[in-house]
Amino acid sequence: MTNGTPALKLEKLKKSYSTGVLALDSVSLEVGAGRFFGLLGPNGAGKTTLINSIVSLARPDSGNVEIFGRDAYREFREARRMIGVSPQEINLDKFLTVEETMLYHAGYYGVPKEKARKRTGELLERFALTDKRKQRVNTLSGGMKRRVLFARALMHDPKVLFLDEPTAGVDVELRYKLWGYIRELNHAGLTILLTTHYLEEAEALCEEIALINGGRIAAQGTNAELKERYGAASIEEVYLKVVGRDTGG
Amino acid sequence: MILADRPFRTLLSREILRFTRVWVQSLIPPLLTSVLYLVVFGVALGARIKQIEGIPYLEYILPGVALMNLVTGSQMNSSWSVFDAKRERYIDEVLIAPMSDLQIALAYSLGGTLRGVLMGAGVLLVGAPFVGIGVAHPGLLLLIGALSAFTFSALGTMAGAMATRIEHISFLTSVIIQPLAFLGGVFYSVEMLPVALRIATLFNPIFHTVDAARYATLEVSDLNPYPTIAVVFLLAVLAFCGAWWAISRGPNLRY
Repeated sequence: MTNGTPALKLEKLKKSYSTGVLALDSVSLEVGAGRFFGLLGPNGAGKTTLINSIVSLARPDSGNVEIFGRDAYREFREARRMIGVSPQEINLDKFLTVEETMLYHAGYYGVPKEKARKRTGELLERFALTDKRKQRVNTLSGGMKRRVLFARALMHDPKVLFLDEPTAGVDVELRYKLWGYIRELNHAGLTILLTTHYLEEAEALCEEIALINGGRIAAQGTNAELKERYGAASIEEVYLKVVGRDTGG
Repeated sequence: MILADRPFRTLLSREILRFTRVWVQSLIPPLLTSVLYLVVFGVALGARIKQIEGIPYLEYILPGVALMNLVTGSQMNSSWSVFDAKRERYIDEVLIAPMSDLQIALAYSLGGTLRGVLMGAGVLLVGAPFVGIGVAHPGLLLLIGALSAFTFSALGTMAGAMATRIEHISFLTSVIIQPLAFLGGVFYSVEMLPVALRIATLFNPIFHTVDAARYATLEVSDLNPYPTIAVVFLLAVLAFCGAWWAISRGPNLRY
């Protein structure tokens, strides 16, 4: 988009809950434009809180979030238009058909109707959902719902795509298909931030990885850098060393 | 600007699609209930009461029954719509879209307003042939109907955004709105009440809307209708501020 401007820039992001839990402890992070970035960490480490703070589903206590130089809160319209999210939990509007899901999503992002129709046709075709387009989303199988979520996130042509456990609960065949498509999107220039529990998924897809634990970035670097730094043969080994070290394991 | 914005218009059209898609359950049953009110209270009871303020009883209660239907319909529409969206998390799609909280609250509130107005108009249309009713001031009736529907739809939006359990929504409908509607002078004139109850009725917002609707339809009312419009307008503003605040700060929305 703009040369040198990071796709995502977080500065000292802090988020605590009323229970007293500090979910994000001064997290700073930069993701370059066009990068494939992985965010790994154990359950409760702060991954989803971090994504939610970026996409404004959570309200950080302090710190800054910028999407391609646009402040996610002060310039929320511009920033949010550049973000696509495929959430961990399926959250499709049960009153809509597959096609309407796409068209309404486009409308929420201000995409003109004609463009939205064309894009809907392309994406439904790409995700093998064309013959399901008139079907209500709540009647679809789990795998199909996951595909709809994915297609929906791409409807408004985002510049940064957040994939929160995109392959959770999908069969192996669909997982590999999604991997292929995610790679294709990234090669076309889309910046991707992926959270996953499958370490081999992160290793296969991501150029750069951050390990988050206890609300802090515990380690960050390219796959090769991390492996070298921790003397590990795989990302799984790095993960166990970092998370194990931090939790005293 | 707020109203012309495509994201806002899309959410509003989604709200309209929601209640029209399930019209068999969202429009027909309340209309049927209102017809039952007219039959039971108007035809059966009306045979004994005959007239209030010189108006046949069935004709006297029709505007109030329409308003009652409008109020409950608009409140239930937005409270259920927001609560459902929150419970099943598809509200997240709206919350992360490039829309302000004000636009989100307004779209939900206007969706419920439209359903309420349709339901109120439906009761008038269904009831009119039985009583041969004419509307004395149609513009005023539309204004008071739209303001009342907006007020209670905004209250519903606030309730849906604040609710964390399904019982909270039912509580608002059955413990607050329904009793206020029944005690809002739909079936009687406040002049028929003892002084203490008459004064208490003045604090019931539904009474003001019913009374103004009755004036707009029949030119009969307990209060001067024009100050009532100001009262309902004020209520609409307050309710909408509440809805806006709740969408912005309600539990399990943006945490």
